[in-house]
Order: sequence, then C-alpha cells, then structure tokens
Amino acid sequence: MDPMALILQIAVIILAPLAVGLLRGVDRKLTARMQNRRGPPIVQPFYDMVKLLSKSPILINNLQVTFAGAALLFQAAALALFVAGGDLLIAFFVSGAGSIFLVLGAFSVRSPYSYLGGQRELLAILAYEPVLFLAVLSLGMRSSFLVSELRGGLLEDLPLVLLAMVPVMVILLEKSPYDVPAAHQELISGPYIEYSGPYLAIMEGARWFQLAFVLGVITLFVWNDNTIVSLLGKAAIVLLVLFVTIVIDNITARLTRERMVMFMLTVGIALVAVNLIYLTIFPEGLI
Amino acid sequence: MGLVQGARKRSPWILHFDTGSCNGCDLEVWALLTPRYDVERFGAVNKANPKHADILLITGPVTRKCEDRLRNLYEQTSGPKLVVACGDCASTGAPFHNCYNVCGGVDKVIPVDVYVPGCAARPEALIDGLVLALSLWEKRMEEEG
Repeated sequence: MDPMALILQIAVIILAPLAVGLLRGVDRKLTARMQNRRGPPIVQPFYDMVKLLSKSPILINNLQVTFAGAALLFQAAALALFVAGGDLLIAFFVSGAGSIFLVLGAFSVRSPYSYLGGQRELLAILAYEPVLFLAVLSLGMRSSFLVSELRGGLLEDLPLVLLAMVPVMVILLEKSPYDVPAAHQELISGPYIEYSGPYLAIMEGARWFQLAFVLGVITLFVWNDNTIVSLLGKAAIVLLVLFVTIVIDNITARLTRERMVMFMLTVGIALVAVNLIYLTIFPEGLI
Repeated sequence: MGLVQGARKRSPWILHFDTGSCNGCDLEVWALLTPRYDVERFGAVNKANPKHADILLITGPVTRKCEDRLRNLYEQTSGPKLVVACGDCASTGAPFHNCYNVCGGVDKVIPVDVYVPGCAARPEALIDGLVLALSLWEKRMEEEG
C-alpha cells in the first residue's frame, strides 16, 4: 500500500470523530434555534470534552473504566476497519461489541439508575441493531461487503433502506421519541450516570467513534466517479439525515421502550424488506 | 493551561438542588432554560447529576433532613467545583434562620462561593451570579495548586 493512502486513512480516522463532535454542536445550535433560543456555539462539544478531561477523576471501581476503555477501543476499531476499506459486516459486529461494553459498564456499578439505563440500552440495541444489520446486509448484497469495492447506484436501488436509517439515527443520537436509555427527566443520563470527569469523556469519545461509523454507512449510499462530487454528495446525505432527525426530535415527545422496540422490529425491518422484495422482482430497479 | 481554563469557563454544567425552598427560587432557576434567558448560550446545561456537574445551584434554607443529602451531593461532585447559593434563604436562612428544623444557610453545611440575593432571586441576578462564579475558576485552581 502506498504511504500517501495510509496517511490519508489515518487522517480520516482521527478527523471523522472530530467532525461528529462538530455535528453535535450544529445539532445543539439547530435545536436551540428551533426552540427560539440562541444556543451554544457550534464548538461547544469540544469545550465540554476539554473540561471533562481536566476534571479530577472519581472512579467507582476498576471494572467501570475497563469497560469504558473497551467501548472506545472497539468503536475506534470499527471505524478504522471501515476507513481502511475492510469488511462492512465485521466493522458492524465490532461496533456492536462496543455498544455491549457500554451496557456492561452500566451494570458494573451498584446504582439503580445505572442499572435501569443499562437495561434500556440493551432494549435500544435490540431495536436498532437488527435494522442496521439488515441495512448493511442489503448494501453488501447489492454491491460488495468490502467498503473499498462498494460502488454507486445504491441510493436509487435502496431508498427505503436509507429511510429505515433515520429511526436508527434517532435512537443512536438519543433523540425523541426514542431517547429511552438516557431519558433525561427519568434516568438523568442512564448508562452514563456513574461516569464522571475524564471517564465520561472516554464514553463520549466512544460515542463519537460509533456515530462516525454509522454516518459512514450512510455515506455509502452516495457515490460518484468524480471524487469531489462524491464527497459533496456524501456530506449532503449525512446533513440531510441529521436535519430530519433534529426535526423529529423537536416535534415529538418520548414514547415508551416497548413502542420503540415494536416500531423498529416491525416498520424498520418492513421498510428494508419491501425494498429488497421489489429489487428481487425488478432487478433493474424502479427508477 | 489557557485552553483548559477557557473550556471550563465555557462549559459550566449545573446541578440544581432544592434543600427545602418554597419553590420560588426554583421557578426562577428553571426560567434560565427558557428562550428569554437561555443559559445554554454560555454552554451551561442542567445535568441534574452531581457526577457530571461543575456548579451546584442550591436553593432554599437547609433543613435538617436535607443536611446529609446536600453534603453527599457535594462530595460526589468531582473537582474543581463551585457552589452558588440562590436567594436569601440559601444565603442566610432568611426568615427560617432560627427554626428548630433548619440548619440555616447553605454555608452552614458546605463551602459557598457566590451568594445571590433576592426573594425570589431574579433570573438576571442568577445569571450574574453564574458569571461571577465562572470568574472564580482561576482563583480556585490556584488554591488547589
């Protein structure tokens, strides 16, 4: 492999989570504007991160920080696999293992709120992972499981799969109506409640890596032979999905955890299934 | 060091705790989140969790029932941390200072950095108190070495 490509890949692995941090800042600003508030500056997540890292550490037990570190490592490994053009399915399972470490971290302390948050995080995983898994499968079967070999035409062939990714993003970004695990007024911050200072920063970092990976999957829908058009298209699709998620967040109230699981396992999977069925009947696609 | 100080000043996460207030000051604290006062523009977020908080906004005279809880919350907050006593009751105990079930102001239980006067404390005064508290970070860091 030539060294330039390697340097580029390492740069993307470092810059992608930072871009997610910036997107979270844009998210907070947009949400504030929608609520007629001024909102924090868009670099606010970085201020939060630096501050958290500079706070004095309070650790409840060693297991807790082990799981936090494991969550960060697995999510970073998933993103690295993705950026290096590796197997999409393996990257998906590595990222899934990272989310399980978040739950284990929540179960490693004796706090009822942390336990409740962990249980609900498990339910959230049960809700979004099957849909994300089917989306990854349909991308792979339509084109290739190797990210480096994936080519265009996926948005035209799989529009409903992209639509199914919207509720997945709603859950992953902890937005209404499916902000079940970290339900602010009920559980304060769910699985994150017992982490403080630098350890909370590690968990937040893990989440940035995870979001970078899932948003990366969304960018796969867009492809153009011209690199610049391709990158612009990819950025546009990510911003569009994010904007729709923020709008949904601001016009809905939280639903129960049962409703979340039921919706994702029926509507979410049905969207992917309908898309795959008509692709089987009309292999050339409808458009 | 400048980066860390700058980030601290721009990201004060808040824990609001009611130690026995009449809810007057609490309403004004909640008003800070509304579009009119919007403290999130300073990066302040109500975290409702001592483990995530930097600034403790305490309202009300400290009742004997709340004494241990307040101390507990203070100890769970990781440093550096600041305490703002919101309103006359939290500052001194005000009309309840000599009640049999009241310890007095917040400073009878935990160290207080900023006292915000008022019954109830106005949102503008609370924002002033918050900004004053943020200017104390550097002093606090020197104290803690």
